[in-house]
Amino acid sequence: MNKFNVALAAVLMMTGAASAASVINRDADAQTLIVTEGASKSELAVGPGETVEFCSAGCFVTMPNGDRQALTGSETIEIKGGVGTIK
Amino acid sequence: MKSKLFFGLLRVFLILVVTTASTLAFGAFIDDQRAVFTTIKAKVEAMGPKIIADSNDDSKLAQYRIELDKLAKDVLDVAVAFRPRLAEINKRLTDLGPAPAVDAPLETTAVSDERKRLATEKSAINALLGETEDLSIEANKQVDDIAERRRNLFAADLTKRVDIKTVLASEVGSAAREEAATLVKMVNSWFTFVTNFKLQSVLGATFFALLSAVIMFIGGSRLFGRFYSRDARSDDPSYLSRLSVAFWSTLIPTTTVAIFLTVSYFFFDYFKVLRPDIREIFISALSTIAIVYFVYRLASAVLSPDMPNWRLLPVDPRPGRLLVWLVTATAIVSGLDTFTNVINEVLGSPLSLTIAKSLVGTVLVGVLVMAISLVKPSQQSSVASVSKLNFRNGLFVLGLLPLIAALLGYIGLARFISQQIVITGAILITMYLGFKSAQSLSSEGAFAVSSIGKSAQRRFALDDLGVDRLGVLASIIVNLLVLIIGIPLILLQWRFQWDDIRSWVFKALNGFTVGSVTISLIGVITGIFMFALIWALTRWFQRWLDGKVLSRGKIDSGVRHSIRTAIGYAGIALAILVGISSAGIDLTSLALVAGALSLGIGFGLQNIVSNFVSGLILLAERPFKVGDWIEAGSTAGIVKKISVRATEVETFHRQTVILPNSELINAAVGNWTHRNKLGRIDIPVSVTYGSDVRLVQAVLMDIGRSNPMVLKSPEPFVLFAGFGRTALDFELRVHLNDITQSPLVQNAVRFAIIERFNELGIDIPVPARDIAIRGLAGDSISLTGAVLTSTTAIEKAKPVRKTPAKSLKA
Repeated sequence: MNKFNVALAAVLMMTGAASAASVINRDADAQTLIVTEGASKSELAVGPGETVEFCSAGCFVTMPNGDRQALTGSETIEIKGGVGTIK
Repeated sequence: MKSKLFFGLLRVFLILVVTTASTLAFGAFIDDQRAVFTTIKAKVEAMGPKIIADSNDDSKLAQYRIELDKLAKDVLDVAVAFRPRLAEINKRLTDLGPAPAVDAPLETTAVSDERKRLATEKSAINALLGETEDLSIEANKQVDDIAERRRNLFAADLTKRVDIKTVLASEVGSAAREEAATLVKMVNSWFTFVTNFKLQSVLGATFFALLSAVIMFIGGSRLFGRFYSRDARSDDPSYLSRLSVAFWSTLIPTTTVAIFLTVSYFFFDYFKVLRPDIREIFISALSTIAIVYFVYRLASAVLSPDMPNWRLLPVDPRPGRLLVWLVTATAIVSGLDTFTNVINEVLGSPLSLTIAKSLVGTVLVGVLVMAISLVKPSQQSSVASVSKLNFRNGLFVLGLLPLIAALLGYIGLARFISQQIVITGAILITMYLGFKSAQSLSSEGAFAVSSIGKSAQRRFALDDLGVDRLGVLASIIVNLLVLIIGIPLILLQWRFQWDDIRSWVFKALNGFTVGSVTISLIGVITGIFMFALIWALTRWFQRWLDGKVLSRGKIDSGVRHSIRTAIGYAGIALAILVGISSAGIDLTSLALVAGALSLGIGFGLQNIVSNFVSGLILLAERPFKVGDWIEAGSTAGIVKKISVRATEVETFHRQTVILPNSELINAAVGNWTHRNKLGRIDIPVSVTYGSDVRLVQAVLMDIGRSNPMVLKSPEPFVLFAGFGRTALDFELRVHLNDITQSPLVQNAVRFAIIERFNELGIDIPVPARDIAIRGLAGDSISLTGAVLTSTTAIEKAKPVRKTPAKSLKA
């Protein structure tokens, strides 16, 4: 049990060190988000059914339907019909 | 109808009221946020000229960077604040549905107005979000710009060359005297100010600082004293205990000092005793003291010149003491150089003075390091290994570096090297201690004798193997911790930015792409963790069910075993599935691969699959269970374990036979102990012709009945089996409650038969045959033939004794 606790602590520590926002695409087609993180803007393609982690410390996202959102870096976005919702 | 109309009107009215109220409230909110945004924007825009103006001042640039980071975060907060409202708008837009098509029936104006209004509001928010995004980019660009400038400054500092001769030719001496006078004046004026106006505060601050130091010291030695007190009586402490003493005796006092210094600074600052100029000098002095103390403690801990038994490196006490002083002196010189640099900066000293002072400082550090490399660690020089010699040579070269750099005029480089020799060196040595302790933790039996190992053993009732495994785990964790803490520390020393390090870690953990597959370390770790978690849960559930639930009810052990095994396999299957999917591997793509492979698997792994399925059938059908006595083909023995592929059977010769499950399913399996252990054994007996057969029957019956292990019902039975060629054949048939006792019963019965027959004079015939030899006068060949024939006859007669294999087998 001790082993288990230690392993748990280690994993929690690691995930805590690198928590990130994630996006899951529930649509049948790939969707593209525009992510502004730091000083750079980039496109993030998410395949159907895929979950992608991004944005380690705050970013702006433009959803496929043009909606904008700001993330602090721990949210989960769900894309359905091109509309992104923060869970 | 009326009521419908009424409710329709009511709805419209309510919508209007609510939306008007929220529009008013929201209009105010968006204006507030815009005001905040405008302030931040002004600040960010003001930053640009400042950065350019101070582009040569590293400390100011660092400070701007912190400010910009904060501004960027504020911008993000402004944007995040709209999230609930956006969610609300989106939800209401979805509720209202899309605008009706041209030919569709018209909707009420209230609804269409509402939709229009929401769309307007959303676009206003989106526009502001767009602006915040641009501002965030702008702020982050400035951050990048600062990083770039600082890198360039650092590089320029390292590569800048000054002409030492001209610097030294100028009036360095008088400049130094002037500097000293200014410093004294400054400190004096501060001191007068403090004694005149802030005496109570200073006394209070000092008192609190001392108090906290005393508490730290006493508490520290109370709590951790036993970890680092060296036992002088101990002749040969284990390497692990030496290491832990070295580690704790460095860490605890250093932490105490560091906390004392921090607390002093905090209180002095809190009581506003420090002026800005004095504050910088103060901070620098405090950090120098902390570093020097740390280096001193570390050196004494590793070399331990006073208690040679406790040293970590094979250095004799005399050179050890010398080394401790040399190392501390190096730290002091390097620290003083940094400290006086701060003073120079505060006082705005002439460059020549700074350079001259750094020249002296770095040359001194170089000389000290070289001196360290020249100290002979041990008198037994013959055992000095090549690696030790290499290490000392390397150290010598390292000492030479700042010396050469300084003499060539690269003062910045020389200063950087000498600082890094002390700080990076100290970190590296601490890391080395960490690695060494991890290594010794993992060595066999080392963890078991450590105090943590002992307490773990007591607490979790582990066996030696378990403790040893725990030791290996602990060593892995210590290794990881050392790396996680040490590497960023060193990188920070080498002027890498914290954000860079963080983003590297993030990238490393969150995946590098190979082709179209993204491998993420976090994913893999999560997968492994989920697997371990579910597996552990399964094991726990299995134990709980087996121990607490199934053991209570009158459940057959075979069923228990089957349930336990089935749960175990189901748990592992579940754990694998969850592990794979949380590792980010798409199960649908696996299904595709599995589909393609299934044909190949069907042929290639036919046997394994058939055994596997047979194993499942065995678990469900339970033709035998663990502990049963079975006979399958030529194998007979006790079932020891039923796995999903094969079953282990232990024969009576103690040989373990692993029988593939398919054989147990496809062929007939005899189970002596299937539903019960009841069984019959037959003991054949022959008596000579002429014996009293009724007496024989009675005697045999009596023997059968009198054995305590023989069942009364069905009662023993004596079979008159037949008229043999030389004897009358009987068979005593008895039923046993426990067939596994058959050898004992057979023995007892046979002994009893012989004894009783002897008493009663009943003969058991020995096969005998009269041989008539004709034509004795003839040739001897016919005699031999006759003898041969007679031997054959005797052999042929043997089976008449009838000793069936079955009863012998047991």
